[in-house]
Amino acid sequence: MPGTLAAIADPAVREAFREWLLRMADDELVIGHRHSEWTGVGPDIESDVAMSSIAQEELGHARALYEQIAEDEGGDADRLAFGRAAGEYRHAALLEQENEGWEYSIVRLVLYETFEVARLRLVAASGQEPVAGLAQLLTREERYHALFGETWLRRLAGGAPDGPERIQAAVDKAWPDALGLFEATPADALLQHAGVLRTSPGAECDAWVEAVRPVLEGCGLRIPTVTAREGGRRGVHTPAFEELLAQMTEVWRSDPEARW
Amino acid sequence: MSSGDRPDGAPSPPDGSGADRARAAGPGPAWERPLGTAPDVWAVFVQGRHRDMHVYAGDVHAPDAEMALVLAKESYTRRDPCVNLWVVRADHIHATTQSASEMFAPATDKSYRFGGSYRQQRRILQSSYKASYREEDQ
Repeated sequence: MPGTLAAIADPAVREAFREWLLRMADDELVIGHRHSEWTGVGPDIESDVAMSSIAQEELGHARALYEQIAEDEGGDADRLAFGRAAGEYRHAALLEQENEGWEYSIVRLVLYETFEVARLRLVAASGQEPVAGLAQLLTREERYHALFGETWLRRLAGGAPDGPERIQAAVDKAWPDALGLFEATPADALLQHAGVLRTSPGAECDAWVEAVRPVLEGCGLRIPTVTAREGGRRGVHTPAFEELLAQMTEVWRSDPEARW
Repeated sequence: MSSGDRPDGAPSPPDGSGADRARAAGPGPAWERPLGTAPDVWAVFVQGRHRDMHVYAGDVHAPDAEMALVLAKESYTRRDPCVNLWVVRADHIHATTQSASEMFAPATDKSYRFGGSYRQQRRILQSSYKASYREEDQ
């Protein structure tokens, strides 16, 4: 049975869908790495364990998606994950920002998970097998991630005395980067035209805002009115990512041919 | 009722407060109390499969029940199967005290109550018989 990409006859559509899968995998890899930085320094031992577990699951999703791509190219998932230059990564800037306090990490988690669940549904409905089935399966784990994030968010936003201001500041900081998740590229237009994806980044973004609105406003938080900070989907990243990439790939680079 | 009739063989209270009180709770140190844990400690019970009983797995620290469930999921269900979780404030659990542990120890042979005893003994006998048989073969 051919992999997801090999099954697509039109080379332009195949290349666009590869770009799309790579973007998903990169998002999961980079957020997984950021979450893992809480291991050992979480606010309490239970949340430390939970965040670390979420990190492992996001890395697991990244690996499954890289394998989808690598399978049809005769490459390997580790090389895709660790063997590229910074400009070849396609994740949004939201995911590479440093963990500036637990409140920022929780806000980012909530914003990203809402996006991620919708995106997995989109892939599950794309009809592109086997990745459509994989997306269906991965959705199962994202539910807990969102639950953990929202449970924490409500308590932080209600925390006296400075909880509301600190959480609002984290939302304000994350918002332009979160809008960058929906940066439109030619690949999006092509996939929509080919009928693989039944939406556009603009429509996805509108649906996402309506999904996060009740969560944020339910906590007494405001939706910022700012424009998107884009670039990630085209490989333009912030200095924070250079550092992250150097650290994340250090072991792999020491011997790229090693079998782990 | 003379002191010799007391089930635990202990002498009657010297203040002569009578048999009723002795029967109700027994003299001496308290035999039960709440666990006395901090209010943010929650006991976690895991159900491995449907129709299994919920089994105490450990504690989590959380400000409320919802957060306790969220944290218990990652703390106690990552390695073994789970279909359902319970949490309860640990301080709502009452326990018998250590000094009361004697009342669980039988004073006479109660093996006739152990329903599984015959099957269990047969299994143990058979396995030790097989083991010794194998040793002889070697």
